[in-house]
Amino acid sequence: MHHGFVLDDQEFNVELSRAREGYRLHFEGQVIPLSLRAGDDGGQILTVRGHSEPVRVAVDGDWLHVHLAGSTYTLRYQHPLDRLAAGHQDGAADHIVAPMPGSIVAVLVRAGDAVVRGQSLLVMESMKMETTITAPRDGVVDAVHFDKGQSFDRDTLLLDLVAEPRP
Amino acid sequence: MRTDTQSWPFRSVLVANRGEIAVRILCTVRALGLEGIVVYHAVDAATPAVKLADRAIEIHGDTPVAAYLDGARIIAAALATGAGAIHPGYGFLAENAAFARAVAKAGLIFVGPTPDAIDLMGDKITARAFVARSGFPVAPSAIEDEDPATFVERARDVGAPLLIKPAAGGGGKGMHIVRDLSQLETAIARARSEGQRYFGDGRLYAERYVENPRHIEVQVLGDAHGNVVHLHERECSVQRRFQKIVEEAPSPALSPGLRQTICETAAGIARSAGYRNAGTVEFVYGDGGFYFLEMNTRLQVEHPVTESTTGFDLVREQLRIAAGEALGYAQTEIPSRGHAFEFRIYAEDPARGFTPTTGPVLELCEPVGAGIRIDSGIATGQAITAAFDPMLAKLIVHGRDRAEAIERADRALADYVLLGCKTNIAFLRRLLRHPAFLAGEIHTGFLDMHPQIAAEPQPEAAVMERLLAAAALFTRPMRDAADAVPDLHAAMGAWRN
Amino acid sequence: MKRIESRINPASADFRNNAAHYRQVLDAFTEKQHRTRHDRPARDIERLRAQNKMFVRERLDLLLDPGTPFLELSTLAANEAYGGDSPGAGCVTGIGIVSGREVMINAGDASVKGGAWYPLSVKKTVRALDIALENRLPVVHLCDSAGAFLPLQAELFADRYYAGRIFRNQCQLSKLNVPQVAVVLGHCTAGGAYVPALSDYNVIVRGNGAIFLAGPPLVKAATGEDVTVDELGGCDMHTSVSGVADYPAATEEEAIAIARDIVAQFRRPEKSRIEWQEPEDPWYEPVELYGILPADIKIQFDMREVIARMVDGSRFHEYQPGYGKTLVCGYAHLWGYKVGILANNGVLFNDSALKGTHFIELCNQNRTPLVFLQNITGFMVGREYERQGITKDGAKMLMAVSNSAVPKFTVMCNGSFGAGNYGMSGRAFDSRLLFSWPHAQISVMGAEQAANTLAEVKIRQLARSGQTLTAARIAEIRDPVLAEFKRKQSAYWSTSEIWDDGILDPVATRNALGMGLSAALNTPIEDPRYGIFRM
Repeated sequence: MHHGFVLDDQEFNVELSRAREGYRLHFEGQVIPLSLRAGDDGGQILTVRGHSEPVRVAVDGDWLHVHLAGSTYTLRYQHPLDRLAAGHQDGAADHIVAPMPGSIVAVLVRAGDAVVRGQSLLVMESMKMETTITAPRDGVVDAVHFDKGQSFDRDTLLLDLVAEPRP
Repeated sequence: MRTDTQSWPFRSVLVANRGEIAVRILCTVRALGLEGIVVYHAVDAATPAVKLADRAIEIHGDTPVAAYLDGARIIAAALATGAGAIHPGYGFLAENAAFARAVAKAGLIFVGPTPDAIDLMGDKITARAFVARSGFPVAPSAIEDEDPATFVERARDVGAPLLIKPAAGGGGKGMHIVRDLSQLETAIARARSEGQRYFGDGRLYAERYVENPRHIEVQVLGDAHGNVVHLHERECSVQRRFQKIVEEAPSPALSPGLRQTICETAAGIARSAGYRNAGTVEFVYGDGGFYFLEMNTRLQVEHPVTESTTGFDLVREQLRIAAGEALGYAQTEIPSRGHAFEFRIYAEDPARGFTPTTGPVLELCEPVGAGIRIDSGIATGQAITAAFDPMLAKLIVHGRDRAEAIERADRALADYVLLGCKTNIAFLRRLLRHPAFLAGEIHTGFLDMHPQIAAEPQPEAAVMERLLAAAALFTRPMRDAADAVPDLHAAMGAWRN
Repeated sequence: MKRIESRINPASADFRNNAAHYRQVLDAFTEKQHRTRHDRPARDIERLRAQNKMFVRERLDLLLDPGTPFLELSTLAANEAYGGDSPGAGCVTGIGIVSGREVMINAGDASVKGGAWYPLSVKKTVRALDIALENRLPVVHLCDSAGAFLPLQAELFADRYYAGRIFRNQCQLSKLNVPQVAVVLGHCTAGGAYVPALSDYNVIVRGNGAIFLAGPPLVKAATGEDVTVDELGGCDMHTSVSGVADYPAATEEEAIAIARDIVAQFRRPEKSRIEWQEPEDPWYEPVELYGILPADIKIQFDMREVIARMVDGSRFHEYQPGYGKTLVCGYAHLWGYKVGILANNGVLFNDSALKGTHFIELCNQNRTPLVFLQNITGFMVGREYERQGITKDGAKMLMAVSNSAVPKFTVMCNGSFGAGNYGMSGRAFDSRLLFSWPHAQISVMGAEQAANTLAEVKIRQLARSGQTLTAARIAEIRDPVLAEFKRKQSAYWSTSEIWDDGILDPVATRNALGMGLSAALNTPIEDPRYGIFRM
């Protein structure tokens, strides 16, 4: 199952496995032997296909900053589950239903709005608690079915998302 | 040269600046046995300058920049801490005559020129007029203030190509090149609007534009006793958006005779102005001639280049001059040894139009070695924000000759590890390996002429493999998954029956 | 433990002839295996593509950890059956590594008759789940089957080891705390619906995946209700309404990724402790096995030469080297694991049977798994041996083999004839895994003897009615019998009928046994308990 690294908007799919000694990189049909050991200066020594060199890596969430061969590169890691979930075309994630009965406190988007994953769409109130409903993925709001103040039952369709705006 | 500070009128110096220049100044201040005080905004609390200072005073402002521009509060901080002098560094309050006057009025010493000298040389138009009057070369030009009604006509008479600049400007902002005189009025309108926006001053002037000129500047020192010397020239032709990226000394473009003429011209201008403090006289050089451009009445970003070739500590000289000491050396005693470069490390993405970048400094490992100096104001754990100028640090290299200095710079840049925020380091390496740069064929349009230097090439296949290998090994889900495989099966590999 | 000293000369004419011959045997095997695994009619592959389905081999590549081994079982199951309509019995089973865990994989192959279950498909699946049970291997089911092949339903539905056994084994696994995850990649109809339902976790692909007891046509016929596949048993219904399925997935790739993440949550079992040391490659080249195995199955060879090319460092501690010499017994390490090896160097005599019995008891005492390397023509016959009680000595060996508590592994290295098959832990004796080499032969007696015996009976019948037979007539009777016998004693027949767990290239045996040993240690090793040894 491929993991992804994005460098300058280009995605590279790789896998890593452990060998009898060290590791192997699986990349573009090739199996490349590698190993890593601590260097003298707090850095690491990376050996790839028998070629050894110092490397420094800093990880910041999904961002990896790598200093290697005299240059610094920044890559973004994509977990297979994230990569594949991003490929959802149309499905349950597009039809946002009420997780419980309640009423709408605020509508934060309108039909036609482009939204990004995690963006707040609606605020609802139920059981004396406010719940913010967020976009499960990037997309465009196709329709909002409720206005502020309206109430609904569990599993009522509240909002539709589409991948692309309708022509 | 030993410096005895016992008799100086100040025992402590407040640095009204931040970043690498604050560190640079504090180092000399403390080396001289003086107390070093720094002011800082909260966003800079974790920076090396604050750690290095004997005392650090927090200042506030609507924005971090505003805090460093608030002269009154800074003077108050100096008085409260008993500082005897204020060093403004460069930028912020360094060329603010009103601030210099206020410092003096508060009974403190301003480590810089007299306010009058700032007034005289700080305004491009008056400076230019003064230089012309004193008999030094200036580019053919038209100054709006002289007769606003005829400015357009006079500008047209100078002839194309023409450069329109805000009179109060600096740093390249609001500058427009006119190659076709039919565009003159449009360029004037835009420059005026930008001048108004950036400097609150819409006055303009126009001067002959030299195509692909070189930027040559001369470091001068003047004391309160009328002595002026020059510390030779620097060439700062490699620029992006009119801002310097690489500076070197000596200039590879000048013959010994021309070099001497330019340096003596600079010293002459400073002498005519009765200049006190360290200063820089900038020239445009091209088509065989040179013209006075402007004078910077402060310590320059690129001063370490001159320090490398002359062995002078320019901050110490500034402090000695501010303390009233005489220079104490003759022009002939100022050497010029070997070749030096400064490479400015910016938080920016050259491939995306040199746009500023931000991020945390996750890991910092600066190069060391013979002929390598790093002036840096950042530390691991610090966040690079868009609040300030994107310059993070400077690499200064010195070698016996230009080739050795470039070789050392290449190695130093290769070893420069700054992880967490994109920088222009890789770009600088591409730049210094470019044949035209190696040949010294540089000018202010160099990067526009060679845009491929700014473009980020995809790493070659072998490097890509190693890069992905390192990334995979440091990605927990990948490393954990690989490590989860039992020894037996890891050893068998992808065996199939 | 000292290194076996090989007496093989790889430069000899014999060696080179044998090797050349074996390469041919092996080429035929690998070609057959490749065809079974990969050759499908273009229209079947196109149909899969049109359905947005991956070929089962592609699914396995995504499922398995990169750079890890996969021990495929019974690749050639059903290859001598159903006129070749069900290559590999329409499913893929095997032991592999998923998220660092050893698992049994049970994957339907929808490229063959829509993945319909033939009788041998059921047998192969039940066998895979039996292996999972014995070795406590978590199971990943990749469900994509059209259901039972109806014309043969009587041979796969109702008997003890028929299809119901699949679900019974799933329940037994669950009871033993061995987790299962099912990935629903096609329709799981009727009985098939229980595979995901009885799994601890399941993932279903939106669109292609469906689970129901009866599909829309059957529902229409039974109740008149009109219903779509999605409404009846689709991904969103089951994951949000019925709770029959757990995780929705947009694509097969995502479903497999989710399944991998689920397996990553499985608790790793504590392995039974047996003697182990750092593994070491064999000192002698395993490929030399090809030159050791004689081109003629009747020619005797020294099994120590085989052991030397299978075990760590080619080191072997031989037990009773001077007694019962037709059965070589001794200790070795295989991929680091200590094993006790029993290998035939000729027919079993009284002393060899007693030696074997004693050695099996030793290995049970010191918890050493057993490896049987079969090349056996049977127990010795004749008055003298019967008088010495060859039968009761053979019975002792069967008693020891049968009640042995340590994991056993069997490899059919050459011939396996008569009761020797039983004494050397044949299929009926519950070896954890049993493999055949491609040239191996298994039958109650040799083909020639069997054909002659059958021909003899016929000749005597005819003689009684006064007929005498010409040589040509005798050949006419004998030859078809011989051909049929040869077909059914070949390893290909054996493996087609799932009397073994697959045919192995001899060189692959070391890794196959290594994986089997590792898997076997998931189950605690009990203390042995035997019945009555006839004395």
